[in-house]
Amino acid sequence: MTSIDTATTTTNKTSSDIGLLDPGHKAAGLTANNVACWFGAKKVLEGVNLDMAPGQVTALIGPSGCGKSTFLRTLNRMHELVPSATLAGEILIDGVDIYRGAIPVTDVRRRIGMVFQKPNPFPAMTVAENVLAGLKLSGLKTTRSERDALIESCLTKAGLWNEVKNRLGDPGRALSGGQQQRLCIARSLAVSPQVLLMDEPCSALDPTSTRRIEQTISEISETVTVVIVTHNMQQAQRVSHRCAFFLAAENEPGRIIEEGPTKDIFSNPRDERTNDYVNGRFG
Amino acid sequence: MTTTLNTTPNNNETKIDTEERIKIRDIEMIDVIVMVGSALSAFALSYFFFQILLPVSGALGFFVCWYVFFNIISTVAVWELRGAIKAKDHLARMFIWTGGLAAVIPLILVVAYVIGKGYHSLRPQFFTQDQKFVGALSDSTEGGGSHAIVGTLQQVGIASLISVPLGITTAVYLNEVKGRLTRPLRMIIDAMSAVPSIVAGLFIYAAWILALGNQQTGFAGALALAVLFLPTVTRTSEVVLRLVPGGLREASLALGGTEWRTTSRVVLPTAKSGLVTAVILGVARVIGETAPLILTVGGAFVMNANPLSGKQDALPYFVFRLIRFPQEAQVQRAWTGALVLVIIVLVLFVIARAIGGRGPDNISRLKKRRLKRKGLA
Repeated sequence: MTSIDTATTTTNKTSSDIGLLDPGHKAAGLTANNVACWFGAKKVLEGVNLDMAPGQVTALIGPSGCGKSTFLRTLNRMHELVPSATLAGEILIDGVDIYRGAIPVTDVRRRIGMVFQKPNPFPAMTVAENVLAGLKLSGLKTTRSERDALIESCLTKAGLWNEVKNRLGDPGRALSGGQQQRLCIARSLAVSPQVLLMDEPCSALDPTSTRRIEQTISEISETVTVVIVTHNMQQAQRVSHRCAFFLAAENEPGRIIEEGPTKDIFSNPRDERTNDYVNGRFG
Repeated sequence: MTTTLNTTPNNNETKIDTEERIKIRDIEMIDVIVMVGSALSAFALSYFFFQILLPVSGALGFFVCWYVFFNIISTVAVWELRGAIKAKDHLARMFIWTGGLAAVIPLILVVAYVIGKGYHSLRPQFFTQDQKFVGALSDSTEGGGSHAIVGTLQQVGIASLISVPLGITTAVYLNEVKGRLTRPLRMIIDAMSAVPSIVAGLFIYAAWILALGNQQTGFAGALALAVLFLPTVTRTSEVVLRLVPGGLREASLALGGTEWRTTSRVVLPTAKSGLVTAVILGVARVIGETAPLILTVGGAFVMNANPLSGKQDALPYFVFRLIRFPQEAQVQRAWTGALVLVIIVLVLFVIARAIGGRGPDNISRLKKRRLKRKGLA
């Protein structure tokens, strides 16, 4: 952080430009206004309005096929990677539209990171390289001391440092499944995202690893806004501040049925269907 | 930490596990007896047919006969012993074994034949001398094929320099960029891989040598080889790139990576060992080609290390020319050339495997050293 000596003299973008390792860097709020999504001619999501406040954990719950993951993928422009996918409405990060050209798409994705359902560390890279992959991929130059500090801090934040500090040179896939997923979280954190999207990050993991990741979520949520898709009701209650319940009727696009503080959704839902779902009566 | 345990003085008291481990064996004694018995009775039966009953003879016929009887008898025996399902299993296993052997045996025979024919005249000077001082009646150990070796290496090297970057770039286009030209391009490449090699030679002869007025050179030969090299390396690379999980591309893009960096930093490194295989297959495709070279390199008996000017020789062409000479010594030289060609292919394969052969989960020694310098390991 303080040792940016030679790097700043070059014209390249340095880590300081994006608040890398910057303790003052802030979580950003996300707002979805009237979002609708299509795959080809099939409308899968309709009229989604959701406010994801900065520094809070928002959980997206609902049965399979109701559009939660699709919605999550619209939030950092991953939705458009499917060739037939289209969308309408607007998504704002701190009030700025991410789709209408104000921010380059690579910057959108760096500011809004993503952790996937299946752990996917880069196989051709070591543990340490995996953590730094985001810097390499977005062309950021760092000094060696910065890199060392970043590897340690990100792995610590992801709750992995003590397990892998002697194995930094091993291939990323030599780790266990739970460790790989935490490595992926560390990798996402290394580019200092303001928002972190998580698509069922624990569905392939054992209870201990799940617990570690939930711990990680509550630790990072002070500096990063977290949006998490989960099928696990207990997990939603444990980690999230707010909850949004998605549901799709047969052959109809998914919608948000109810949205509010997690406590209310689980103990005092306004809608009958929410009540049925959170109590395990369907889905 | 734990290694200190081994150096303690009383290490001859190493703990011996007392539990008896279960030996999991597929083959029991009775199976061995059945197989040996079947083999013996099949031998006896075919001996009876060949030597006593029928007026036929010949080692190959005897062997085939024996093999067929062996399969029939052993299948019946297994049927009697273990029932129909096991017998079918046995029969299927025999078929698979036969198929495997049928594929491998010719390969071994070819290599063994080339070695057997070629090793007599293989002397170290084959790699250092050319045919300058070799007369019609010289001994087959005189002179060498260094001019042909240099020619082959240069021609294949130049062909790879042209085709490997082009082929991999095309594969990236087909698989990562996916533009509107993907389908027609794929069709053209398929058509290209079906081009007979002599046509590739004719094309370069007509377009490069006749129309543009160039000489027959090693470079012209390399161009002809590149025409054959390109489709092989493109299609193989495309298949290899398709095997890279889509999740890795998404992960890279989700980190803010551009498409180019995703391809160059994630997709290509992950597919590295497969891409090396693609290159190996391409080299294997062209290094033994004679037809495209006949019209393009011209052939030579003396060393010409400049691929851009003057006629050059190549090992397959060397073999092709000499094997038709009436002198035994020349034919002998051709076989030696063939053997050297096989050796070169083998050496190239070993080198390529050592460079990039292992899967992506392996961090190579070279890379470890680089990482250490950067303080990452």
